[in-house]
Amino acid sequence: MRRYKPLLPVFAIYVILLIIGATTPGLWQPIMFIMFYIGIGVALNNFLGLTGYVDFGYVAFLAMGAYGMAVALNYFTELGFGAVALGFFLALLFSALLCIAVGGVALRLRGAYFAIATIGVNEGLRYLIEGARIWGGSEGIVLSGKLRKAFGPDFANYLSTFVADVCLIIVIFVASVITIYLINSRVGYALLALREDEDAAKVVGINVTKYKLIAFFTSAAIGSLIGASAWTLKLTYVFPEDVFFIHYTVEAIVIVMLGGAGTLLGPVISGLIYGALKYYLSVILPGFQLLAFAPLLIIIVVAFPDGIVGYVRKKLRGKSLFEYIR
Amino acid sequence: MVLLRLEGVTKRFGGLVAVDHVDLEVNEGEAVGIVGPNGSGKTTLYNIISGVYLPDEGKVFFEGNDITKLPPHERTPLGLARTFQIPRPFGAASVKENVAIGAMFGRAKANVDEAMKMADEYLELVGMYELVNKEAKLLTPLEKKLMELARALAMKPKLLLLDELMAGMNPNDINRIIELVKKIKVKENIAVVSMVEHLMHAITQFAERVVVMHQGKKLIEGPTMEVLNDPKVIEVYLGKKMVIEGYEG
Amino acid sequence: MAFFEQLASNLIYGMLLGGVYGLATMGLSLIFGVLRVVNVGHGAFIMLGAFTAFWMFTLYSIPPIASIVMALVIGLALGYLIFMSVMRRLLDAPELSTLLAMFGIGIFIEELAKFFWGPDYVGYSWNIGGISFPITEIPFTKICAFISSIIIAALLYIWFQRTKLGKAIRAVVEDREGAMVCGVDVNRIYALSFALGIGLTVLSGVLVTLFTPVGINVYMGGDYTLKAFVIAVLGGLGSPWGAFYAGFIFGLLENGSYTLLGLIPGVEPFGLTRFVSFAGLLVILLVKPTGLLGGE
Repeated sequence: MRRYKPLLPVFAIYVILLIIGATTPGLWQPIMFIMFYIGIGVALNNFLGLTGYVDFGYVAFLAMGAYGMAVALNYFTELGFGAVALGFFLALLFSALLCIAVGGVALRLRGAYFAIATIGVNEGLRYLIEGARIWGGSEGIVLSGKLRKAFGPDFANYLSTFVADVCLIIVIFVASVITIYLINSRVGYALLALREDEDAAKVVGINVTKYKLIAFFTSAAIGSLIGASAWTLKLTYVFPEDVFFIHYTVEAIVIVMLGGAGTLLGPVISGLIYGALKYYLSVILPGFQLLAFAPLLIIIVVAFPDGIVGYVRKKLRGKSLFEYIR
Repeated sequence: MVLLRLEGVTKRFGGLVAVDHVDLEVNEGEAVGIVGPNGSGKTTLYNIISGVYLPDEGKVFFEGNDITKLPPHERTPLGLARTFQIPRPFGAASVKENVAIGAMFGRAKANVDEAMKMADEYLELVGMYELVNKEAKLLTPLEKKLMELARALAMKPKLLLLDELMAGMNPNDINRIIELVKKIKVKENIAVVSMVEHLMHAITQFAERVVVMHQGKKLIEGPTMEVLNDPKVIEVYLGKKMVIEGYEG
Repeated sequence: MAFFEQLASNLIYGMLLGGVYGLATMGLSLIFGVLRVVNVGHGAFIMLGAFTAFWMFTLYSIPPIASIVMALVIGLALGYLIFMSVMRRLLDAPELSTLLAMFGIGIFIEELAKFFWGPDYVGYSWNIGGISFPITEIPFTKICAFISSIIIAALLYIWFQRTKLGKAIRAVVEDREGAMVCGVDVNRIYALSFALGIGLTVLSGVLVTLFTPVGINVYMGGDYTLKAFVIAVLGGLGSPWGAFYAGFIFGLLENGSYTLLGLIPGVEPFGLTRFVSFAGLLVILLVKPTGLLGGE
């Protein structure tokens, strides 16, 4: 259990946030907004943070999740809660299929070539859906009317507010447990080695492809569940240009880097900071949040490549607090 | 028993033949020195043995099994371990984690807890105990080499390939390392192949048998003292005769 | 045959556009070839060039072809500034860092542009007539853009072949350590190549405006970033000349396949064309990452 101590501060943050949101009028939505950013940070961190591979097409996995849920709700509406369950299953299935496709192609590539290939996958998939008019093509899938007709306005409302939020929260808790499990296990050490020096890792006996795929699948699965709950279930529509929007990938990357790539607590703290800042900046400076975040990203990369938690950990090496912060 | 056998191994880079039809055998628990000037094909030979390069011709056998086409990560668990001429630590990991990673994925196949214990043991052995929590990239070049040695040993190899381990060390360190490697070699019955460019003196203390490489080919092979006094070797090492004589005197 | 007329006119259009595509990718390839940095913010610099042309034309009635010089100067200065302030510090950092930094710079430029110029589409009309063919009419503006691309690429080629600096850049691309040993000041070459790469990209943005029927806006660059990746990979990442030729191929293929996919009922040819180009990108990356036209 000792190695699971770092979960303590993470869960504390989640619980405090949720209590604040549940008890303060008007704060639940902002808190869920923040939780979404924590979620995509934690999800992407399992790949970008642990392997050091930049996936510019990460949002495609959220998109696959969103489409999985939308397809289930649209075509199997009469199943009620069963459709929601089927939606999560399809979300995982679609993202796993994409994983196999991308893993087979892109994960053979390194560095810049990998990054370019992932952009290609994201855009290619989006235009395949639009061009071949799959799942409604560029018109997307709109569910609100259908759900209201099938379930009545109350239950439809309950699904898109309460159920969607609860699902997202569960996914985030589970995602953090998965992260700490990965970090503490042989997988984590294999990834640490390959992130630092892939060729040396091979010679040390690490099957780098296998471990990269583990991280890739994990990260994709979590992303797809977030897409299914925070997008489709909550918003009740899916449009390709929204769910493939590359800025979500950028935001997730900023969160991972700001918090400290490969740390457990990092994306949680930076997701909190980022989500809160974005929420209030969008009130004060609507439409110009990115103007503030782009320089932030540059500054982090140039001056604080270890991120917040990476920096704190360095300072704490050898102290008793060290084992609570990862 | 023969542990490693190379049969007619050849590697070309463009028009250059880096390793030219080399045969080599290493027996269990044996200490072999591979000596050769820069560019004689030693490092390429290591890369072929550890699986970084596939040979253009020839075969590699380990314990009688053909491993010519196995990727590096499948060879290591069989009992291979190596160090690099220029150390390649996992920079952001701590010294202890570096060594533990070796224990986890080498022949030792330790779980995380065992690996951490083994890391402590081997780091103490090489005299780095006080550095366990340091980030590996902050080590001095000498410390990095020692850490790589600990990492390789923690893999519990049957065959340890050392690549210029002693280059750049002062005589005290060299003696300490030689004694250490000798001790572990006997204790765990490891075959050690040590590659050196100079430092013939060190090799005489350590290797039972010496292979001299020259321009990608095996120039001569035999018991250490015999080889080092061979006129052909002295010719290749014209400038280095002093070192040998220094030892003899 | 209305279809063949349309195909022919689209192919001509594709070739003219392809020249601009090629030029617009040379900067990306040059920067990758010399610094091993992928300029993920590429499109933002194209956008800057496009707005340079727009403002010069709207405010001072300066024709776009003349804005080329202005755009080049802006790009060179901006590139030098970015190199000195950011890239120089990241030369030894992992690839992740340079990718993210360029990404951040690209977004920053776009957002800054939006802050000043707003998010709406704007356009200008520079009408200097055209050549009429039986099947189609080709405006002189597009022909101008095409010829300018070829002239600029040719000038660049001569500069690379004949001048000492050009030769030094080529040396660094081929063998960094070797160039260093031969006394080439690699950091100076980095700065110069980065500035030149950005300069070329901004410059090509001017010509791009002659091919944008719906006008330009601050987010127009994203498209060009993606196309530039496809073209650069097609031409062999890191080879500016490969990129230039690949631009033509891409322009022809893009417009050709658009016309052909339009024949399939029930699909959107626009979306499918882009799908085909990205699928092609992945196939090339998988089969021959050095590019179809690139040697090693």
